[in-house]
Amino acid sequence: MNPTGNTSAAVDPVTLEVIRNALSATAEEMSLVVMRSARSPLLREAGDLSSALTDADGHLIAQGRDIPMHLGVMSFTVREFLKRVPKARLAPGDVWFLNLPEVGGNHLPDVKAIRPVFVDGTVVAFAVNLAHWADIGGAVPGSYVAGAVDAWQEGLRIPPFRLFDAVGPVRENLDMVLANVRGAQEREGDILAQMAATRGAEEQLQRIFAEHGADTVLAAIAAIHDRAEAQMREALAAIPDGVYAGEDWLDDDAAQGGPVAVRVRVTVAGDRATFDFSDTADAARGPVNTTPFIAAASVFYVVKALFGPDIQPSGGCYRPLEIVTRPGSLLDPGPERPVVGGNHETSQRVADAVFRALEPTGPERLSAGGPTTSGLVLFGGRRADGAWTTFYETHGGGEGARHDRDGAPVVRVHMSNVMNTPAEVVEAEYPIRVERQRLRSGSGGAGRHRGGAGLHRAYRVLCDDMSVTTMFERRVVPPYGLQGGEPGAPFRVTVVRADDSRLDLPGKANIRLDRDDVVIVESCGGGGYGSPEAAGSERRPAGDSSAGDSMTTGGTM
Amino acid sequence: MSGGWRVGVDVGGTFTDVVAVHGAHRDARVAKVPSRSDDRVAGLLAALRAVGLDWTDVEDLVHGTTLVTNAIVEDDLADVALIATRGFSDTLDIGRQNRRHLYRLDLPPKPAPQVPAGRRFEVSERLDHDGRVLAAMDPRLVEDTLRQVEDSGAEAVAVSLLHSYANPAHEEALGERLRARCPFVALSNRINPEAREYERTATTALSAGVMPLAASYLDRLEAAKPAGSRLHLFHSAGGMASPEALRELPLGLAASGPAAGVAAAGRVAADLGIGHAISFDMGGTTTDVCLVFDGEAQISSDRSLGDRPLRQPMVAVESIGAGGGSVARLDHGALAVGPESAGADPGPACYARGGDRPTVSDANLVLGYMDSERVIGGDIRLDPGAARAVVAPLASAMDMTVEEAAFGIVRVANATMLRALRRVTVERGIDGRRCTLLAFGGAGPMHAVELARAFSIATVVIPAHSSVFSALGCAGAGMSYSQQRTLRMAVDAWDAARLDRVRRALKSRLAAPLVAAGCREGEVEVEEVAAIRYCGQSYAIEIADAPFDDPHRLTRAFLDRHRALYGFATEEPWELVSIRLRVSAPSTDGPRPPASRGSTESPESTGSAGEASAVRTLPCTFGTGGPVPTPRHARAHLVAGRALAGPVVVEDEWSTVVVPPGATLVADKAGHLHIATGVNA
Repeated sequence: MNPTGNTSAAVDPVTLEVIRNALSATAEEMSLVVMRSARSPLLREAGDLSSALTDADGHLIAQGRDIPMHLGVMSFTVREFLKRVPKARLAPGDVWFLNLPEVGGNHLPDVKAIRPVFVDGTVVAFAVNLAHWADIGGAVPGSYVAGAVDAWQEGLRIPPFRLFDAVGPVRENLDMVLANVRGAQEREGDILAQMAATRGAEEQLQRIFAEHGADTVLAAIAAIHDRAEAQMREALAAIPDGVYAGEDWLDDDAAQGGPVAVRVRVTVAGDRATFDFSDTADAARGPVNTTPFIAAASVFYVVKALFGPDIQPSGGCYRPLEIVTRPGSLLDPGPERPVVGGNHETSQRVADAVFRALEPTGPERLSAGGPTTSGLVLFGGRRADGAWTTFYETHGGGEGARHDRDGAPVVRVHMSNVMNTPAEVVEAEYPIRVERQRLRSGSGGAGRHRGGAGLHRAYRVLCDDMSVTTMFERRVVPPYGLQGGEPGAPFRVTVVRADDSRLDLPGKANIRLDRDDVVIVESCGGGGYGSPEAAGSERRPAGDSSAGDSMTTGGTM
Repeated sequence: MSGGWRVGVDVGGTFTDVVAVHGAHRDARVAKVPSRSDDRVAGLLAALRAVGLDWTDVEDLVHGTTLVTNAIVEDDLADVALIATRGFSDTLDIGRQNRRHLYRLDLPPKPAPQVPAGRRFEVSERLDHDGRVLAAMDPRLVEDTLRQVEDSGAEAVAVSLLHSYANPAHEEALGERLRARCPFVALSNRINPEAREYERTATTALSAGVMPLAASYLDRLEAAKPAGSRLHLFHSAGGMASPEALRELPLGLAASGPAAGVAAAGRVAADLGIGHAISFDMGGTTTDVCLVFDGEAQISSDRSLGDRPLRQPMVAVESIGAGGGSVARLDHGALAVGPESAGADPGPACYARGGDRPTVSDANLVLGYMDSERVIGGDIRLDPGAARAVVAPLASAMDMTVEEAAFGIVRVANATMLRALRRVTVERGIDGRRCTLLAFGGAGPMHAVELARAFSIATVVIPAHSSVFSALGCAGAGMSYSQQRTLRMAVDAWDAARLDRVRRALKSRLAAPLVAAGCREGEVEVEEVAAIRYCGQSYAIEIADAPFDDPHRLTRAFLDRHRALYGFATEEPWELVSIRLRVSAPSTDGPRPPASRGSTESPESTGSAGEASAVRTLPCTFGTGGPVPTPRHARAHLVAGRALAGPVVVEDEWSTVVVPPGATLVADKAGHLHIATGVNA
């Protein structure tokens, strides 16, 4: 997992910084282009996308300020891509798309566009954009198949596939993809946006090479890796040597099985560290498996957040890290297992396990357990005009408290940072009414400092036939308290039928809804920090959700 | 009676700039005096005295101020009560659920809500996104709510009901009853009639939060103003507005000063026939850049200030934390400059006020660009020894001479600022290399040529009066008002009658203050911008001078623009998301930017260039070649039309223009300095 070669030819500190700035700007601008020109709300409203540049061997050299999970994964995508597609097959103007989890990936909806950047006939870099497609085919609209037990049920599997060449779109390839996803027109818009973003990056990279000369830029890239490695080594050296063990639990295996353990053994020796996940449970039957790339992304996130927020992400960061996953396990399940939910649920569980392992190194560095779940609720169906529509919404919860402050309400933590869709946009674009959106009172765990409040949001279905998919965690295993703090209230999604009957939805479910059914999402509160008695604060039970449960009926709000 | 002067005054954090022009005088009077935050009105009077005027001499005074900006950034806001639709009063807490810092667990992930839970109230009512009433407002329940609002002790009230942009009736009904109880009421459909409840609510609450402050300042100003003299303030979207209009929309002052500078840049660009310009205003801690297209500053409708969203039409200034005070340090083999700043106190080491870390200003002094014998800001003497002393350790760590290290600091600072230039051009699909860089402000003219070269820009213009440029923008301002409104009209459901209705209503609301000021309604000028996107896209593309009467032409304009921005366009259906109107007073031949003193009095170019007007020659360092003798000219004594080849430095009382080797400077008769950077566009 390490970039090869770690000696950089001399590049002075000034030129290095000038080139580093230019590369980062190039990566950031890619995401800007996608957000402004993409078609699906998931990209444009929620910003579920990321961009990166890699060197000619696929090692990350710059990234936008996007989503930690994506960025970790993209450290591996181009390297795995190059194992399948030798450089000799690449040509100027190519844009290759892929989504196979085993090719430096995570799950099928996150489709990567890779453009090789040529200077003087040689590949010098790659521009990569990852975008979450609102649909990638498969059994249900939105492609979150809660009951999937194999990889093929989850949708269209795209191995490295050339959708553009120097002439333009490779029409038959594009058609092959579009024929296998819902909302082909919207998807085509998203594909064009990803293409446009990588083209902008290509032009900019070529300008940087022309301005500074290839030797200097390549030397700067090598120095960027070395620098990141040095920063990572300093961060690791700050952790006292030793062996630390931690674990956390998924609610279930998404197929009627009970909680699933994620276990890590962290061995720190000087400025190196090994994160061994061998004791993690076997691969799950349902779609909560994930890939070793996601495990690595989570490890990188935790080390950076705890010990080195200023570490510049680059391939060099991974040199002093060894990440071990056991083939056949939840984190290394092989290509046949379903993974769609593991991407944002199990990745967060890996981060939680590593955080908890490192608690002895200084609990004041940690936050108590937070909404380490996407809180995903996905509505799918046909609009009145017959077009497919999917409304994919993640729900943030209360942040875990810290040693010196309460947790914030309704926020995304750790591996994700996707925004919500405003109620006014939901109502304008989907046959759904948002009945209310409030803080979920009393949901934060008590403690010397209290966990943040979760969200209470209720959706009324305004059409006759709609499917709803859930993919969330922290319903059974609540966000943990730290240092004696209480856990936060667990996540809960309830369907109230038109006849007032209530259904408590499992964390991974696909069901059908009728007109006037109401889906109430109550996201988890954050864990408290420190014993509540110590603060003399009144000890409220976690999860008394007084405001949340009263239902209004009809359109009488 | 007034003495016929038209005066622009820009009150910044440190200095107040004044430009006074008079039809009978050829010259402008210009001054820069320290600002007075303790008594702003007294500061304004002192500024007038500095140009030899009493307010009674002034016919028109246009004023830019940081009052509102500072209140927002420093969170010095009035206590606000918020009224929302039942079920939606926690919108400010929920926000967009994303966090500010990806990897900083220690920092709060979002700002605390401006309005605490105890001052948030709900009313029973509900609209849908088309403005249809799903549940009427119950007047009896409203009365209870109003009493609670009153009891909450709030100084101002913000009302933000769901979908009020589509139907203002409920908000207006509440507003009428509220105004009887509270002088400061902000209704979201008036402040920001656009979809997305968090941004609209936050903008409305912020507006309410600065209302009392703005009103009290405007009261004091108007009390001090002599009868017969007119007073306007410069607003964020690049025009002037009456005090009455700003009482209701005080956020119009949120970017008052920067907008005035950009407006002046637009005027200079128009006068010089520059199609694409980037304004570049570098100060001590921040640098502002803005794209100016055919003399018009680009406007953005979605910005934030002090971590709070602020959705108002404002000049699209991109601000970055880089300036003269930015601190340089070595970080793992790379030279980092900023975002940390030495600020005004202690300031750069060369100010000799206790600063002990190398800054961009120290580097400029080491390079010889700044004159160590000059006094800046009235009492600061530059200390070249101190500057060298703080740069030297960096130099030895990088194995460079002190001058090379200083030049490195400048290059890295420029690379940071370059990102802002790239951002404003990439966002609008403009090739930055075709732009002219218009540099002003304290440090802008010092960095402009090297920055322009780094972006492959061929021409830099340092406009006349560049160091009091915002005040100049105020002095030359016309009256205008603008607002954006959500519409959502698909091309296949085109409703020309509705569109016409909305446009006329918006126009008549915006024109009202102009009419009140004596404009005839038929004469106001209207600019209309259409925001269009493909159905399903989120970010709309702006089409200026949109042909609303002809959907086919509108389609073509949209496709052309989409292609220019993103390289593709499809035949899919599109929708008109919103319209933005700007109404302005008919352009009279109002005051042009006045010529600067020296050049107009100078004869046309004759004789040999250069040394004649040089005051003296001092060593300056450009690049890695070591110091070279560089003549220094007084800006006031430049001869129009005569070319000066770099290296050359041009100084006026408040700023320094650096022309490195390979670049050539020519002053024109209006006092603008044109510099060919040596890059071939």
